[in-house]
Amino acid sequence: MSVQLNHRATAAGGAAIVPQVVLDNLATRFRPGGLFLVLLRPDGTVVYHDASAGLFFHRYVLPLLQYRDSTPSDLTQKLQSLTPTSTVTVWDCLPGVILAAFPCLDRRQLAGILVLAAKSTTFKLGEDVVHVCSRLGLDGIWLNQQAEQVPTYDEEAIQRQARLLLNMMRDQVRLTGLEQELDSLSGQLADSYEELSLIYQISSGMRITRRANDFFKQACLDVLEVMGVQGMGVALYGDSAQRQEPVLYGHLSLPPGTVHRLADELMPVLSLRKGPLLINDLAKDKAFHWLGEHARHLLAVPLQRQEQILGCLFALEKCAGDFDSQDSKLLNSIANESAIYLENAMLYDDVHGLMMGLLHSLTSAVDAKDAYTCGHSERVALLARQLTLEAAMPEAMAERAYMAGLLHDVGKIGVPEAVLQKTGRLTPEEFEQMKRHPEIGARILRDIKQISDVIPGVLSHHERYDGQGYPAGLAAENIPIMGRIICLADCFDAMTSNRTYRTALPLEVALTEIRRCSGTQFDPVLTEAFLKISVDKLRELLATRQEKVREMLEMQRSLKVA
Amino acid sequence: MAAKKILVADDESHILNVVSLKLRNAGYEVVTASDGQEALELALSEHPDLLITDYHMPQMSGLELCQKLKQDPATAKIPTIMLTARGYQLDERDTEQSGVARMISKPFSPRHLLSTVNEVLMEAAV
Repeated sequence: MSVQLNHRATAAGGAAIVPQVVLDNLATRFRPGGLFLVLLRPDGTVVYHDASAGLFFHRYVLPLLQYRDSTPSDLTQKLQSLTPTSTVTVWDCLPGVILAAFPCLDRRQLAGILVLAAKSTTFKLGEDVVHVCSRLGLDGIWLNQQAEQVPTYDEEAIQRQARLLLNMMRDQVRLTGLEQELDSLSGQLADSYEELSLIYQISSGMRITRRANDFFKQACLDVLEVMGVQGMGVALYGDSAQRQEPVLYGHLSLPPGTVHRLADELMPVLSLRKGPLLINDLAKDKAFHWLGEHARHLLAVPLQRQEQILGCLFALEKCAGDFDSQDSKLLNSIANESAIYLENAMLYDDVHGLMMGLLHSLTSAVDAKDAYTCGHSERVALLARQLTLEAAMPEAMAERAYMAGLLHDVGKIGVPEAVLQKTGRLTPEEFEQMKRHPEIGARILRDIKQISDVIPGVLSHHERYDGQGYPAGLAAENIPIMGRIICLADCFDAMTSNRTYRTALPLEVALTEIRRCSGTQFDPVLTEAFLKISVDKLRELLATRQEKVREMLEMQRSLKVA
Repeated sequence: MAAKKILVADDESHILNVVSLKLRNAGYEVVTASDGQEALELALSEHPDLLITDYHMPQMSGLELCQKLKQDPATAKIPTIMLTARGYQLDERDTEQSGVARMISKPFSPRHLLSTVNEVLMEAAV
């Protein structure tokens, strides 16, 4: 019969074999019955004794136990005879004292001996007690008086008490063990909560309209804190629009080029592993020892979709301890989530790129019909975008304005070239043909539902604020905002470009003209915003794609020659 | 200075365990209650410096608990952090009038909870 101690109750070096609280608790229970609780180490040293016990125990029994080497007793021998499997043993080797002992184990090794001591039924002021008294400097008569107040125990009685103690010990130790386990589980649970909330936070940042850089920056900063690492970085491979230079966030300062080299060398390793790479002693690692002087730990996980590696996340230098499987699991879940986001962002870019490409082709088709207006659509698009931003409208609106600008003249495809390219004045009939282009454009685009919000801009870009425009003669706020924006951008570009019937106006003259027409041709609020755009910015926008325009003119000329 | 005492009320024992472990490790004294009624009694007998309570509890909701505390001058000044299920919206007027200093949605980050506790106690000390 023995008691198996919880693994945390260490035996070594005189540390508490059984938690102090447990011992105090038990001592209090047995004290009223005249029993004295003592804990010995296997070598016999007293580790614990009931400090509140009576004088008989303090002055007589405790010294006997402590100084037994110099007393004629065979307690040492008895202690040595104990094995981990010993049951409750009763000893009467000390004069007038009866002891019941059982072993305490730690990992099945003997860690201590718990002893209940009591006055023996054989206690009397005989020769041996008197002898001990003289050695301990006690007055025998005084001791006898103290002893009279203490109940006596025979072998059977103390054995019963010791068995009771053993059972209580087991319960107590189990309870303490459970409490420690509860704490440790709560600690693990707290970590899981932390990770759960991190993953939630990261996934709620996965908006498709957000740039991948912004997303990964935030994710890295979050991980940095939760995982407790010095450096957290990301690299995106490949040639997609989402590609970015590898970056490292955190407090680790590495020499220039280190992060690039790390990202480059991680790519083939992670492609091969298809899973996390965990190195806790970089200096000794075959492949990454060169990082050893800057960091000890590296944890890298691939961002992969199907078989393709899109990039990787890497953590450097854990603040406390080494990276463990939990860290790698956490970073892997984050990588898996992020990879889905990344793939979606790439698909979105693809689709968006495809659509913009098609729209540009459509615009080029119009431009190809009329060399003089070449590049006009692109410039109107840029001007419209700038105007929208200047008028403090949201970014998304500016993108739609850009598209509307790009497409506003698509309807000219349906206008005869003879009319478009005529150098002289248009006859009323020709002008009527020309005036149909907004409606033709709207009709051409009607079936592309993704740009349905752009079509009003195409249809109404020749409406005037005073209601004198076409095709519907709408006025003021009745003209869709997109139409009012494109109208301004369109007119400004027309004035500053060469046309078949006149040469370009200087920028300043065009601006004066715009101001003059505020409230008649143009929306006065938008005019104000437009006039706030700096002249430098306007020049920059007008100069855009000059290269492309020249190319286009070249092409047209060569086609005509052919 | 004596450790600040924090009363934590939640009917889910694992939340109580996680929160009290985190707070105890940070040096706070923690008293726990597993329902609103018990929390109310402990608030009166233990004089906590701060209350962390779940919103969804049997018998008495976290909000009712706060309102009751608010009515008693002895407990009216105890600042409160309320835990709610994610996505659950409480009327801001209700929470404000009941002395709820912060709302945290579950699953919460224990680290974030601890920093919120520090923050709220700091504000209360000013």
